[in-house]
Amino acid sequence: MSDARIVDRGYRPYDGPRLGAPGAIRSLVRHTAWRVLGIRRNARTKVLPALSAGIAYVPAVVFVGIAAFIPDDRLRDDVLPSYGEYYGFVTMAIVVFAAFVAPEALCPDRRSGMLGLYLASPLTRDTYLLAKGVAVGGLLALTTLGPPLLLLLANTLQGVGPDDPLDVLTTLARVVAAGFMLAAFFTVLSLVASSLTDRRAVASAGVVLVLLVSAVVANVLVEEMDAPGWVLAFDLFDTPFELAGRIFGERGEVPEVSTAALATSAAVVIGLGSLFVRTRYQRLAVVS
Amino acid sequence: MRAEGVVKRWGPTTALAGVDVEVRHGVTGLLGANGAGKTTLLGLILGLHPPDAGRLEVLGLDPARLGPDVRARVGYSPEHHRLPDDMRAHDLVAHLAEVHGLPRREATGRASDMLWEVGLGEERFRPVGTMSTGQRQRVKLAGALAHDPDLLLLDEPTDGLDPVQRDDMLRLIRRIGSEFGLTVLLSSHLLDEVERICDAVVILGEGRLLTAGTLDELRAGAEGYVVVVEAGAEELARRLVAAGASVEADGQRLEVTPGGDEVADAIRDGVAELGLALLRLQRRRVTLEDVFLAAGTRDDEPTPSPA
Repeated sequence: MSDARIVDRGYRPYDGPRLGAPGAIRSLVRHTAWRVLGIRRNARTKVLPALSAGIAYVPAVVFVGIAAFIPDDRLRDDVLPSYGEYYGFVTMAIVVFAAFVAPEALCPDRRSGMLGLYLASPLTRDTYLLAKGVAVGGLLALTTLGPPLLLLLANTLQGVGPDDPLDVLTTLARVVAAGFMLAAFFTVLSLVASSLTDRRAVASAGVVLVLLVSAVVANVLVEEMDAPGWVLAFDLFDTPFELAGRIFGERGEVPEVSTAALATSAAVVIGLGSLFVRTRYQRLAVVS
Repeated sequence: MRAEGVVKRWGPTTALAGVDVEVRHGVTGLLGANGAGKTTLLGLILGLHPPDAGRLEVLGLDPARLGPDVRARVGYSPEHHRLPDDMRAHDLVAHLAEVHGLPRREATGRASDMLWEVGLGEERFRPVGTMSTGQRQRVKLAGALAHDPDLLLLDEPTDGLDPVQRDDMLRLIRRIGSEFGLTVLLSSHLLDEVERICDAVVILGEGRLLTAGTLDELRAGAEGYVVVVEAGAEELARRLVAAGASVEADGQRLEVTPGGDEVADAIRDGVAELGLALLRLQRRRVTLEDVFLAAGTRDDEPTPSPA
């Protein structure tokens, strides 16, 4: 038998399945998620996602441990936060992710010319943004949804959470609703800032600035200038977390603001923000 | 690809003013100066924006209505050299194949194959940011090929390349058109590279189709003879014009078009009957530049390639 071998098979036509736009969206979601998390990138790019995950999950793990080692129900209830209060521990994780990690999803595509290549594929501007939103929102949901779910699961298994199956389901629904609301709110906020610049650092600064300025302005208006209490619903830093608490039936630091005002504020940010990003991308020139 | 009366306006500017053109199998050069409408035509082919009037058909589909379906079967290599610096060439090409609809496993395999085909097999796991302009052009080409498109759109694929890299790239594009069997539309403003590798040419000027056809057809239309006589060129020119030829005189040197036996006979008869001393009679070598100039474009753009 000859040991000769063909080293160059030449160009081979492809006759297999083509997955079309759904396949393109799935691929872009996965690619964006990996990129945002720093997978297949250098170590430096993994620091902030890891920090964000650490801030989000470590308290949950600690609280699960405490729950296991404190047998007294009353003491345990005094020490451990409620589900609504837990978001106070993960605020920084969510803000770090939205401000410093999520802009990686949109900004580099315009800077590196990838946007033009994507739009020369079965993706459209809308499906491109959908994929980006799903990727960022999905990762943010791991931060907003994951830790409370972990707590719920651990507490239920340890018999220190809701006992009644209906209570478990109700708490689960509230965890899911609060988690998705927070993920959607901060995803849109991050995408709006990222749509305005192709520089990640500028987008990060934009997110932080919007959160801080809205908080300062709303509080100064109410406390120093006697504006009505509902103005605090425009404090974009506290509003989503206050609304998350209300979903669990708890009132936090701004009890004077109605739940309806908070929900309207969040809905306006999510709705108008999404519309803004879409309009912005419809107008971008891509073939160059 | 077939365009019939395609019009595209950007505000008050008319980018394409009723273009009729057909691109057939093989390598077709899309020539024109900056602002001629080349990029707008590529955008229309990709279905990125609809024409304001006229009809466009790409691979049997209307790209304005079925853009994603058209783009799934079209490969596009843009003019710019920007790519994600921190991505490895293989990962980038595989990802581009995936977003064009190939399953992940197939995309990964074809990414390797295509990078070998474009001459980057050994470099395929290098980050794109460490690659030269020539290598980036090849990565873009591999990305446009990886999903096995039916139509390949290349926008200035030799831009930024040195002469050796340019030769390699042109040879590769020629191979893609012949050996790979793909239809290639090459947008360029460099006449000689289009002349070297293209089977057909579409020339746009200020949004209008100036001329289109195979290189042989276009050259035949511009062929002719160079006649040099010792004296009496003026009288000879008059006779040739009377015989239906077109003549440009420069002293005793005449450029006579079109080519063909009838004109050759008229030159012979004129010289003989006038008793002129014929110093030179030769076929005029027709270049794409001649075709381009004859098509009515300004003579300063597009430019012959640098040596």
